[in-house]
Amino acid sequence: MMKLRPVILLMACAALAPRLAAQIQINLDGLASKAKESVEITLDSSMLQMAGSFLSSGKPEDAKLKNLLSGVKAITVRNFKFAQEGQYRPEDLQSIRAQLHSPGWSKVVGVDSKADRKTAEIYTKTDQGRIVGVTILSAEPKELAVIYIDGTIDLAGLASLGANFGIPPIPITDQSKTKGKE
Amino acid sequence: MVASAVAGEALTAGNGNFTMNLEDQLRDALRRRNPSVGFAERVAARAHSGYRVDPVRRFRGLWTASAVALAAVVMFAATLLWRRAQEERAGHEAVLALRIASEKLNQVRSEVLWHTENQ
Repeated sequence: MMKLRPVILLMACAALAPRLAAQIQINLDGLASKAKESVEITLDSSMLQMAGSFLSSGKPEDAKLKNLLSGVKAITVRNFKFAQEGQYRPEDLQSIRAQLHSPGWSKVVGVDSKADRKTAEIYTKTDQGRIVGVTILSAEPKELAVIYIDGTIDLAGLASLGANFGIPPIPITDQSKTKGKE
Repeated sequence: MVASAVAGEALTAGNGNFTMNLEDQLRDALRRRNPSVGFAERVAARAHSGYRVDPVRRFRGLWTASAVALAAVVMFAATLLWRRAQEERAGHEAVLALRIASEKLNQVRSEVLWHTENQ
């Protein structure tokens, strides 16, 4: 039995490794106390199943949300708004970025605005041509947001939700003109 | 041989005595006896007074059963309510998470487009 123990441990580690590797670990625990507003949401598959039960009330918006969530296994949201600048370090995102260099993940969008001191990145994980994970990192002087969605999700459908939540749809051309004038 | 004969006689004699005693006891037990004086009046008086054996004892079982049934119903209802509250909380959190994700996605998209158009 004693001789078998290392073998059993090795097998257990081998079984757990892909699962652990698949999940992006977001550790920004210390920032909530510094933020004036913070949103920390962690929904695993069982919670998402419950959410699905709640949303199935027959409303069209709920049906759309439920459809979006149908392929999602987990959602993690960390959004911090600070009263002052310099409340977080850029290095706080390094451990997340390092995990996003693992196989399957690729950076699809990256914006680094030196003038505004803003960075925004979107990473997707694909498997056989399907998106099976999305991570959004958005860092501004007074705001930091990390969103990780594990599972299949329709990004166009997610983007189109903005209007449904009372957020006006982004007039891309108009906004570019406005920003260009500034 | 002598011993067994003596034992047989003793047994027969014993059986005869036992049978006689039993008959006497039965006869005594089944003998008609007159009730004590005032028995009929006492029975009638008790029947009229609405006498019950022990009401507390009689209803104790019913109360216990009712309490158990009530507790089961309360627990079931509490579980349902708790489950519903959990679903509601998860639903609100999921909606908020998607709202933030959608907002940030659109924000990044607009930033990219703005940078693309201005380059």
